[in-house]
Amino acid sequence: MMEEKYIICEDSLEGIFTAIYDAYALREEHGHLHVQVGEEENYRLFAVYLHSQPDIDKTNKVIRTLKDRLGDHVYGAVCRAAASSARDKGDAVYHTVVDGITAGHGRRTMENLCDPYVNRTFQLARYTANEVHRELEFIRFQELEQGILYSRIGPENHVMPFIMPHFADRLAPENFMIHDENRGVFGVHPAHKEWYLVSGIEEGTGEIQEKARYSDQEQKYQEMFTLFHKTIAIRERYNRRLQQQMLPLRFQDYMVEFLQK
Amino acid sequence: MMDIRIAPQMSVMDKLKILADAAKYDVSCSSSGSSRKNDGTGLGNTVAAGLCHSFGADGRCISLLKILFTNECIYDCRYCINRHSNDVPRASFTPDEVCELTMEFYRRNYIEGLFLSSGILYSPSYTMELICETVYKLRTVHRFQGYIHVKAIPGADPLLIQRAGYLADRMSVNLEMATAEGLREMAPNKHRQTILKPMRQIQNSIAENKNELTLYKHAPRFCEAGQSTQMVVGALPESDYQVMSVAESLYDKFSLKRVYYSAFVNVNENKQLPSASAGPPLLREHRLYQADWLLRFYGFKVDELLTEERPNFNMNIDPKADWAVHHLEVFPVEINRAEYRLLLRIPGIGVKSARRIIAARRFGNLTFEDLKKMGVVLKRALYFITCNGRMMYSTRIEKDYIVRNLTYQNQMGRGEKLPFLMDGTPYRQMSLFDAVPEDFRFCSTVQKAQ
Ligand code: SF4
Repeated sequence: MMEEKYIICEDSLEGIFTAIYDAYALREEHGHLHVQVGEEENYRLFAVYLHSQPDIDKTNKVIRTLKDRLGDHVYGAVCRAAASSARDKGDAVYHTVVDGITAGHGRRTMENLCDPYVNRTFQLARYTANEVHRELEFIRFQELEQGILYSRIGPENHVMPFIMPHFADRLAPENFMIHDENRGVFGVHPAHKEWYLVSGIEEGTGEIQEKARYSDQEQKYQEMFTLFHKTIAIRERYNRRLQQQMLPLRFQDYMVEFLQK
Repeated sequence: MMDIRIAPQMSVMDKLKILADAAKYDVSCSSSGSSRKNDGTGLGNTVAAGLCHSFGADGRCISLLKILFTNECIYDCRYCINRHSNDVPRASFTPDEVCELTMEFYRRNYIEGLFLSSGILYSPSYTMELICETVYKLRTVHRFQGYIHVKAIPGADPLLIQRAGYLADRMSVNLEMATAEGLREMAPNKHRQTILKPMRQIQNSIAENKNELTLYKHAPRFCEAGQSTQMVVGALPESDYQVMSVAESLYDKFSLKRVYYSAFVNVNENKQLPSASAGPPLLREHRLYQADWLLRFYGFKVDELLTEERPNFNMNIDPKADWAVHHLEVFPVEINRAEYRLLLRIPGIGVKSARRIIAARRFGNLTFEDLKKMGVVLKRALYFITCNGRMMYSTRIEKDYIVRNLTYQNQMGRGEKLPFLMDGTPYRQMSLFDAVPEDFRFCSTVQKAQ
């Protein structure tokens, strides 16, 4: 019997792509290889664990290969799945890549929904895409003293890389910053410049929030929007259930129109 | 001429309250149909699919800052809260106030842009000019590049409507009532012809603009997101067949992007009209949207759904299921072989899942389990399909039996039986949104036609 090998990697796009590179480098049968993000909790007997360190060169090679051989559509789905919060995403993404490259489904890979790994990747990518879409809609910026726009979010998946391009284009003349509280990640956009991500400054976060003072105008606009939000609903059609279905509470917790009293 | 009763020191907040309240019965909400990148000179862009930035207590989407410029009105439409003869607080914005609200809301990501309508102040042209001036300022002084939807006021100078069209993403003229007689009865100052005229003008301008754009890529865009309209339903005894036939011809003959249906709310407590206590006919409105969806994306014709003899939709099951149970001779359909158009006709299968089926079955025969993963609603579809020659359960294919089962599914919830509240999670909705390349968020008017 062939033993199962688990490649343990960092929970990031780089981590997963490096692990895929390492898996291929083993030149073994893919069926017995697995990619696992984070730490393995239940060590299996008779399984071998390998550790993979994120590596930028390996990552870039994988990115190039994926874009080349699988096309932007599949590549995009793979990236979104890799941004998911699901624990099994590493294996789903890895075996989807195998299906695309080694089984040769190429640009059509995401259509092969009968394959359980492809199906899982498809599903995870969709969850991320849906959350990205909702954050584009529901993010609320608040204006700080120097006119900087600041927003807090608490997404389930790592949506930041997907939402920043949208706001960087839309709010080109603005200095803005989006803060993912669940990951301690900041998306930063200086007016008319490229955006970037900052992470690992968990320490300073409280400080930023403490120092941040709203501009004089901020309260007024929050009140006006809250008023608008309330007024525009038709009493005869009130339907809180529908409202909550369309706009889940976990988003409402960050939206000024639901926080103002 | 009427006198304007505006308190001189009314704050923007007070005006907003009055003028948002007055605008809320206009149901159009979408911010879709335009796709524009930011050009670096100002704020904003547009997204083809549109975005909903919030949802109100009625569950309707809030996408645009929907306001009237003024709720002054010289007309006296019976269904309208702003009618001349009503004694309600009146207010008017200034163009600068509208610009400021739009810009400040937009940069906080509250809204996708502006929806500007208006009561008729002095005359249609006077009003249209105010609208133009506002939108012009927003586009030029503030360099606003987000979404703008404006009303074309029937009877206004065509040149003003033309001007507005070059500034707006979408324009709309409300048809108000499905029939010309209905309009005469409800809105004595309005006439079908005056409404259709600007509609035709906008249609022609959009067509001409398309030609210009093929010649000169940088020609200014005219109403990139097309035009829409709305009809009030349930105020008069018009049938669904009449309403849908009108909608169909608006799509076919006036190239409209969207027709909206607005369940009548008796705001004026008019004794001759259906009473407010019964509540607006929401389920009927829902059926109309479902049917509208079938016309636009599923290849149905109104005559397939309704007839003179059966002029109204079945309130128990949705129009697509209703069509299916009346055409049992077509079913069951074999999932692994049926062509796309036929897949679309199966209850429980939407545009997206039909596409997925077509793509996935090239890799091998699909099973019921696979269908479930692709988003097919099996408990609806099971009466109508086979996989590899087999039905999911041995079930009777008999009209009354199926109707009973589908109806039961719809009644699992409380109150108004809006099916999309009953089965499935919001993600089911989202996957339906994905189904349609443009115009895909209809918010509370999103209907699951599966
Ligand atoms: S024209 Fe008719 S519908 Fe429009 S605001 Fe005036 S009264 Fe109301």
